[in-house]
Amino acid sequence: MNVAPAGPWALRVVGLGKWFGPGCDACLAETGPEAGRSTCPRCGTVVACAGVSFDLRPGGVLGIVGESGSGKTTVLRCLNGDLTPSEGIALLGSVGGGERDIFTVSSQERRQIRNFHLGMVYQSAREGLNLRISAGGNIAERLLAAEWREVAAIRRRALTLLERMEVPRSRMDQPPATFSGGMQQRVQIAKAIANGPSVVLLDEMTSGLDVSVQAGVLDLIQEIQRAERMAMLVVSHDLGVVRLLCERTIVMKNGRIVEAGLTDQILEDPQHPYTQLLVSSINA
Amino acid sequence: MDLRTLASLGSGTGYNFGFLDELSKKAVRRALLKAIAIPGYQVPFGSRELPIARGWGTGGLQITLSLVGQGDVVKVIDQGADESVNAVNLRRLIERTSPGVGLTTFTREATIIQTRHRIPETPLQAHQILVFQVPLPEPLRVVEPREEETRRMHAEADYSRMWVALYEDLVRHGRITRAAGYPVLVNGRHVMSPSPIPRWDVPRLHQAEFLSLFGAGREKRVYAVPPWTDVEPLAFTDHPFTVERFDEPCARCGSRTSYLTVIPDERSTRVVCSDTEYCDEHLALQEASR
Ligand SMILES: Nc1ncnc2c1ncn2[C@@H]1O[C@H](COP(=O)(O)OP(=O)(O)OP(=O)(O)O)[C@@H](O)[C@H]1O
Ligand SMILES: [Mg+2]
Ligand SMILES: [Zn+2]
Repeated sequence: MNVAPAGPWALRVVGLGKWFGPGCDACLAETGPEAGRSTCPRCGTVVACAGVSFDLRPGGVLGIVGESGSGKTTVLRCLNGDLTPSEGIALLGSVGGGERDIFTVSSQERRQIRNFHLGMVYQSAREGLNLRISAGGNIAERLLAAEWREVAAIRRRALTLLERMEVPRSRMDQPPATFSGGMQQRVQIAKAIANGPSVVLLDEMTSGLDVSVQAGVLDLIQEIQRAERMAMLVVSHDLGVVRLLCERTIVMKNGRIVEAGLTDQILEDPQHPYTQLLVSSINA
Repeated sequence: MDLRTLASLGSGTGYNFGFLDELSKKAVRRALLKAIAIPGYQVPFGSRELPIARGWGTGGLQITLSLVGQGDVVKVIDQGADESVNAVNLRRLIERTSPGVGLTTFTREATIIQTRHRIPETPLQAHQILVFQVPLPEPLRVVEPREEETRRMHAEADYSRMWVALYEDLVRHGRITRAAGYPVLVNGRHVMSPSPIPRWDVPRLHQAEFLSLFGAGREKRVYAVPPWTDVEPLAFTDHPFTVERFDEPCARCGSRTSYLTVIPDERSTRVVCSDTEYCDEHLALQEASR
């Protein structure tokens, strides 16, 4: 695979593929948007994503949209290191001068990359937070992973982040199990960005929330993204979220990218029939 | 074969020197060499049956029996005491199964010291080996019950959850309450349980002159701290690690520099050295100089 040297991107992904199952010669041809399925009919392997390539510029916000099961979460999990990809390369501008494939480093270095350069907000707060330890403790975990060792500094940082996320100061030493869904999600965001990662991965961060709460969380995300100049990869099946946050968008179906470009252009003039269907469904 | 023949075969009095057969000892020593090569890393080993119950120091005993040879002198202590039932039993077993091996209560005389929950007060030297009996070898068990997951955490040096547990303890109680078995980072790489020694003893493992070996019989693990290795208690820069403080000297020998323990007396309680041999020696010195 031909990968250009470090360029104006925070994250470059080339040919990312992940499948669940043994795989066979027919897997790639028998799955995808044309075939209309993600499961290989011959061997039963799920091709969760394949041939996924994109660049995310520093400080940029890139959306990934697509129906349920299209592979969005799989892409994020591979990037964060929760899953081991089946193929592909991923480069971070902030790691090894942008020339180090983070998929092939040792598990110890992978952990370091995740601790220092990435942040992830999971679809469910239960996955991103330990609900039984305090909100401050959850944020501390990220900072401790990034080798912060001064409690006073950790608490100052946690407090600043929680206040920015509009979580009351008094909640800092309480476990998020007692918080509302919206507040849990805001704690999760605070945790993900705590150590100043260069790339933040956000998976359906507002999907479990009331519409009234959603807007507030989106505003905060936007504000913090602008203030900290972090690059973000925003997964959503809600085109409204993507329209608000993302300058560029990727549309996925059955594990493949079917369309990519400026969000405005995609929404105004979708090229792929699937995207046209998606767009018409929200404009209706 | 009838039952009588079987019984007579099984009850043969001909123990091998050191009770364990030579192949078993070799397997233990091989595991120990690996443990020494990767300080603080838990090495699985095929824990053998011994004529004492698991949980009574079989891990430490297997290490001692695998190492001991003619000319060695062994000391066994339990929480610092040479005369506790557990220490006496282990010493007797070593004595009976390893003819020619010396036994002592004097720390200075010993070449191998098997211990439960203490490090002798008298500083150990390079030719001495300290063998710890370990009930629970996995320091991450308090934050993660799954063995798979703790193994992954060690492999990736992913210790943030351990740190968070200390942070939460500190926030909740104003200090880190963890007392015995305080977690340490060994050689800058592996988090290790020093076995349930008091905090007092933890700094004495750092850059120590002697070799420390740890054996967990029930959990089938050995690990090691080679001489001159960094052993750092997990602590925060603004809340450094501290050891126990005693307001009074030892009520028996008057020592102000040893780790003390409370023993219930007939009328009141007395606070005395936990290391009985050290206390005796210190007392004798006091009396001699009087
Ligand atoms: N561990 C797994 N084992 C087998 N198949 C899996 C596994 N994880 C995901 N898949 C499959 O991979 C495909 C992509 O899943 P993924 O979760 O990435 O989709 P998604 O786009 O995030 O969907 P949603 O919008 O519902 O969150 C789906 O068909 C899913 O069933
Ligand atoms: Mg998903
Ligand atoms: Zn004393």
